Amino acid sequence: MDTAIELSGLTKDFGSIRALNNLSLRVETGEIFGLIGPNGAGKTTALRVISTLLLPTSGSVKVFGLDAVHEAAEIRKIITYLPEEAGAYRNLSGWEYLEFMAKFSAKNKDQLHETVKEAAEICGLGERLKSRAKTYSKGMKRRLLVARALMTRPKLSILDEPTSGLDVLYSYHVREIIKRYVKEHGVTVLLSSHNMLEVEHLCNRVALISKGQIVAEGKPQDLKDRFGSQNLEEVFAKVVGFA
Amino acid sequence: MLKGFGNFLIKELKELVRDPKILLGMIILPLIIFPVLGGIMNFSMQSAQESASKTTVLVLNHDTGVNSTEFVTFLNSSIRAISINVSTLEEAVPMLSDYNATEIIEIPSDFTQNVTARTAVRVKFYSVYSGAGLLEGIGSSIIDSFVTSFNRNLAPDILMPQKSAIIKGKIIEGVDPRVLASLMISQAIAMPITMMILLSYSMQIAATSVAMEKEEKTLETLLTLPMDRFAILAGKLSGSIIVAGVGAVAYMIGFNFYLGSFSSLIPSGTNLDLEALGLVPSLFGYLLLGISLFVALLSALALAVIISSFAEDVRSAQSVVGYIYPLVFIPSFLLMYLDVNTLPLPIRIVLYAIPYSHPIIAAKAVTMGDYLTAGLGIVYVAAFTLVVMYAASRLFATEKILTAKLKFKGLRRSKKGATEEYQ
Repeated sequence: MDTAIELSGLTKDFGSIRALNNLSLRVETGEIFGLIGPNGAGKTTALRVISTLLLPTSGSVKVFGLDAVHEAAEIRKIITYLPEEAGAYRNLSGWEYLEFMAKFSAKNKDQLHETVKEAAEICGLGERLKSRAKTYSKGMKRRLLVARALMTRPKLSILDEPTSGLDVLYSYHVREIIKRYVKEHGVTVLLSSHNMLEVEHLCNRVALISKGQIVAEGKPQDLKDRFGSQNLEEVFAKVVGFA
Repeated sequence: MLKGFGNFLIKELKELVRDPKILLGMIILPLIIFPVLGGIMNFSMQSAQESASKTTVLVLNHDTGVNSTEFVTFLNSSIRAISINVSTLEEAVPMLSDYNATEIIEIPSDFTQNVTARTAVRVKFYSVYSGAGLLEGIGSSIIDSFVTSFNRNLAPDILMPQKSAIIKGKIIEGVDPRVLASLMISQAIAMPITMMILLSYSMQIAATSVAMEKEEKTLETLLTLPMDRFAILAGKLSGSIIVAGVGAVAYMIGFNFYLGSFSSLIPSGTNLDLEALGLVPSLFGYLLLGISLFVALLSALALAVIISSFAEDVRSAQSVVGYIYPLVFIPSFLLMYLDVNTLPLPIRIVLYAIPYSHPIIAAKAVTMGDYLTAGLGIVYVAAFTLVVMYAASRLFATEKILTAKLKFKGLRRSKKGATEEYQ
């Protein structure tokens, strides 16, 4: 398998605060990789560096062999990023928002239409896509944004808390879509989540992150076996010495 | 009393007053700006009046009698009157610049004869019209006061002034510069008002649109899209220019009607064609004015984008962009009344240094056919715009656009707090 993401000794400082500390990681093409950890662990910073929003203080970040510092524009052509607290343009309808986003990658009108149609299926908003985004509930907005991140079938989709704000049914729906996209379209997914049970069922491999460092990495089942735990929550508690 | 109103009001006031951006922008800044503006205006008006009273006039005396000599002596008691040795007015006009004079007084050959006989004598006064603004008529008023004083010593209505204007070196008989100035008020006021409205309105739009991306959490997604970062900046600026431009046109149409309502103030019987007098900018002049306005607008918007990038939400952005307003309001108010050339040197330097003075200066300059002044202003503002645009593009090219925050001493968030949300 090819390498989709390769982090080597990644460090990111904000002033005197070290958000990421010598982080090294490898994500293979076509897998769903989960970054899990508590608030402030450095998950979002890691995702932002990989998605070219932030520059590393030191270390290297490669996405499909492209350097995140020097080839950021090339990386942006092959990724999509869904921030945890993302919003949609209030005065655009859901459909207009999807069209606006799809225009950055669609090569012609047909492809544009197909892409938006696909997004409409993913989000399941139906007629409400004609309404302005400011009338959407938090959950509806999240469905729209998840659809936006997947509709272009990027080589890599970086999803920060993809099911944040969604109810149980739609969380399940989104997880199934992510699985389907990886399987059918070869999309690689890097996601972060607080919800370790969700990650356990969705991800091929996970990395447990604490205080900007990876404290454990592997397949969910292997980690559970290694630490003699029932689930990833227990694994994490044991790794950070909480249990 | 509404239940809970008092409690809620106190909360609101605390929240608003404790916001340093609101405190500075809404309360402290106006407290400083208006006294400063008033002081500058007062100083400038005084110096303009002083310079008008020290005006130099050229006297073209066709009379050889004693009364005309007395009249010149009378003039010299208050202003500088220089008798010139030429026979026609056409020869006198080029001498105005040699003596730095703004008036020519032509005394007719029958002056002494008529004054001795106590019959009315017409004296011609020619004033240079320079498009100086609302105070253009000061020279004309001084002549009136001279004539009144002189007549008081002789008999009423002996001396009858016949005022004319010299526009761009041409003599325009029968046109009183003061009447001309009142006609030109619309031009003198329109540009500064347009500048104030257009710039402040478009800066608000630009600042809001950047802050909205942050507040609505759409900026992060935008920055990871396969688009040129400069295209984001250019799109924001263009959108603001278009919306503000439409707003400005609507505003100017309304403002034109407003000014039109003052046409009754122009003395009856006055029939002046500004175009024929050369007081309407040429096509090239309009082009220069448009470029001047455009580059100033661009720099203001880029500045607003930079400043608002440091704000976390729309309200903060609108407050911080208010810090640029003095740079727009001060030159607008000053140049509405005064000519930049009549101002004291330090104030003139400050005005020339402010980029937003230049479209207003250019508006007067192109009307008077002074394309060099307008052109130099464009070069200066364009250079300033390039610097600001470069800074804005650098801001958008780096993570600063995402992480920049405006901090106030004493209310600074701890570094830990400020960075936590990025983890």
